Amino acid sequence: MTATAPHMPAASRRHVLAAAAICLLPLLLQLPLALGLGFGASALLVTAAAWRRPLPALLRILLGITAIIAVAATMPGIGRDSACGLLAGMLALKPSETFSLRDGRSLLGFALFAPFATFLLDQGPLSLALALLAVVAVLSALRRLAGDESGGSNRPQASARPGWQDLGEIVRLLGLGLPLALAAFWLFPRLPTPLWGLPDRAVAKPGLSDTMTPGGWLDLMSDDSPAARVQFFGATPARAEMYWRGPVLWDFDGATWHQLRWDAGADAAEMQPGDVRYDYQLDMEPTEGRELVALDLPLQAPPGSMFTLGHSLRAERSLDNVTRWRLQSAPPSAFQPALPPALRMRALLLPRGFNPRTVAMGRAWRREAGHDADGRADAALVGRALAMIRRDFAYTLDVPLAGRNEVDDFLFERRQGYCEHFSSAFAVLMRAAGIPTRVVTGYAGGYRNPIGDYWVVLNSDAHAWNEVWLPRRGWVRVDPTAAVAPERVFDTLADRRPGRIGAFDGLVGIFDASDWLRRGWNDFVLGFNAQRQQRMLDPLGLAGIGGRGLVLLFALVAGLAMGWMAWWLARGERERDPLLRAWHRLGERYARIGRARDAHEPAQAWADRVAADVPRAGIDLRTLGRRFSAARYARVEPAVVRALVRDLSAHRP
Amino acid sequence: MRAALRSRMQALTRPRAPESLPVRLDRRRVYVLPTATGLFFALLLGTMGLGALNYNNNPALLLALLLAGAAQASLLFAHLQLSGVRIEAVAAEPVAAGEPLSLRIALGAGDARQRRGLQLRHGDEVVHASFDASGTTAELRLPTSRRGLMPLPRLELRTVQPLGLARAWAYVWPAQATLVYPAAEPHAPPLPAASTGEGRARDARAGDDLHHLRGYRAGDAPRTIAWKASARRDSLLVREYEQHRRDHLQLDWSATEGLAYEQRIRRLARWVDDAEREGRRYALRLPGTAPIALGLGPLHRHQCLRALAMMPAETPA
Repeated sequence: MTATAPHMPAASRRHVLAAAAICLLPLLLQLPLALGLGFGASALLVTAAAWRRPLPALLRILLGITAIIAVAATMPGIGRDSACGLLAGMLALKPSETFSLRDGRSLLGFALFAPFATFLLDQGPLSLALALLAVVAVLSALRRLAGDESGGSNRPQASARPGWQDLGEIVRLLGLGLPLALAAFWLFPRLPTPLWGLPDRAVAKPGLSDTMTPGGWLDLMSDDSPAARVQFFGATPARAEMYWRGPVLWDFDGATWHQLRWDAGADAAEMQPGDVRYDYQLDMEPTEGRELVALDLPLQAPPGSMFTLGHSLRAERSLDNVTRWRLQSAPPSAFQPALPPALRMRALLLPRGFNPRTVAMGRAWRREAGHDADGRADAALVGRALAMIRRDFAYTLDVPLAGRNEVDDFLFERRQGYCEHFSSAFAVLMRAAGIPTRVVTGYAGGYRNPIGDYWVVLNSDAHAWNEVWLPRRGWVRVDPTAAVAPERVFDTLADRRPGRIGAFDGLVGIFDASDWLRRGWNDFVLGFNAQRQQRMLDPLGLAGIGGRGLVLLFALVAGLAMGWMAWWLARGERERDPLLRAWHRLGERYARIGRARDAHEPAQAWADRVAADVPRAGIDLRTLGRRFSAARYARVEPAVVRALVRDLSAHRP
Repeated sequence: MRAALRSRMQALTRPRAPESLPVRLDRRRVYVLPTATGLFFALLLGTMGLGALNYNNNPALLLALLLAGAAQASLLFAHLQLSGVRIEAVAAEPVAAGEPLSLRIALGAGDARQRRGLQLRHGDEVVHASFDASGTTAELRLPTSRRGLMPLPRLELRTVQPLGLARAWAYVWPAQATLVYPAAEPHAPPLPAASTGEGRARDARAGDDLHHLRGYRAGDAPRTIAWKASARRDSLLVREYEQHRRDHLQLDWSATEGLAYEQRIRRLARWVDDAEREGRRYALRLPGTAPIALGLGPLHRHQCLRALAMMPAETPA
């Protein structure tokens, strides 16, 4: 680059700006809709306005401030997503000052941060495809700028040669770099623990969290993306028995259920597992939270996770990437039969002054049922509540906003809702009746993908149910939502198979295949980390190779990859015609014994000369020379040429 | 400081001495270093890679590695753009000192690789060479400062293809010298008087002195062409005149007595040019060399100017 920054030709400028736009696109898609649209539109406007001359500095500063305000308004707080939003805003405004070759290059460089930032928010296939596109676009723009720098005049065939060949060259460069990139990807030592943490999002994604507000899950329950994929080894539970236990919620403040605040790192609750064991591997999609799900009930906390007081699992670090957990679960025969008094108290607590009718009904039910030590009355109360639900209640997702006494409204007025309402109301009613009850959130059911034989748990499978504590049996799972009479299940998302639209299920196969691919991608690429890297080498007999060994291995493979790259690039120098190539090689062999062909010597004359000097091999050479001349200068069948090439290669002086 | 560094670099890079052409650039004399853009991208990719490793964000890491791989491939690519290039020959027409010399450089390649965006450079002068299958010829303008034989400088052949992230360059140092004529004196007195004969008008070259017609030879002044006769004969004919003694100039070193040494050379160079322009035959006599006989035309001019250019430098008396 020279000291004076030369201006970009208009065509190159268009190319650079288009490449930057492609880079920006995946990031815009991850931003809140209004912000994404706004930045996209302002990028176009700024580009149009600044096409001839740069915008005044004051205006640019003003636009920058506007962008910051827009980000702050849509994503309050400092987080990963708001930082990405800011980056998108700055990139959208950058075309206002992009004129010289150097500007173009720095814009391309900074634009590359956009797909990178996208991956901090989303690692899905769409983002990846767009990011790859962005890489190709940036490289081709760089190439054009390099052409400009070395003189526009040296592209005489520019018009005759459309962009395809240029594109081919870019793809070729990427392909050449691919072995090196893959070697580094698989073998470059990974960090077992991050050096610094990933900043959280300012605006959380819909997902399971440590709270539940009845009516708050509509986003989550209409989200058809996978939450986890599960592979069973051995026994597989029935679909109706698949309760994926997530956060357990104890505290109710009248509107929202919360986890216990001091709920971390508890010892596993005492439980006696039943006779069935489920052994499975669970791949969690990133949730940005620490809550894990496991089949009811997990037997032990896998490394990197711990139990909560509600016997749900919590990861030690937030799940920002696809994570893999190896778990064992068993339905319990008794689950914490000795409930500590503090927990018992917690499981009976109700907020003062909320839902008076429900509380009154619970107390009335208790008076009618009486008390007994072995919990027969408690069980009867549970049965009574379920019977009431079966009799009078309906399931629907079409629910008005919650009022102050939401449970009263639900139980006595509306009598319809979905799992959040049922579990919340059931818990309040049972607590009022003196039965320790808690809310369990998680997922219910799953979809078995016939391709790959694994189960997909979708976000729309999110579910909330209850556990009541009964003497001797401990916590018992009760799913009040499941008690709704099937004929009163209205507007629901149930019985949807992914990929089905109404009665049309032609897309199911596509969903199955694409989810299977996605799982492979997760498995192969997204879930790869330091532990997997170590495990990958085990089958190769390189177990326990250690960091230094890994570096050595990486250096070796990278060296090979570079060698391959150099060989492939240098191949351009070799003769393209296989016949000539074979003939030249033959000539080299003779040159080594001092019988090189002179520059002026025709093939036949040379062969005759050598034949005179080296009688033994020379006779063959003379024949070969004649055949070579015939193949070069007369019309012959390709098969003949191939045979000749073989013979030429086989011939030794 | 900078110049010292540069000369230090020169001493380290090949070729270290002038070489005779043709020269093939082999891989040992092609150098590759990242450009400023390349360093910027390296920094950027490093940041991206570190961030991706830290967050174990595999798609981001893959993205960074893919870019790094392509950049690495472009480094090799840039190297191969130059290696294999043959510098066949260089040639230049002599020019007067102070005027830029336009050096023609013929490039070829031993392979069929596509080469684009090659640049030849010397100092601030850059020229683009567009390669095709048969090679290319580029014209590089070199500054000249003094008369005489100018040894060719070390020329740089370079490229930033394909991505502008790396610059590959190689030096060529042809062991050749080009002739630089002395600069003609800008405001010189008129030509000295003719050596013999006087009083007759100069335009006596019209009709009556016509000696004969002869075929056109390259370098003949257009006005000596006999257009009518040429039209009749279908080939260009030139009038040859009776030699007019009075028109013959003797340009003599001694005629410029009293001027400084270089000044004398420049004056004579000017007179040679003037005589050429006026179409008068002239002879040149210089100390220390054989006198140059009467003559006219580009070849004669070259002979005279060459003799002037090759005059030894002034020796302090």
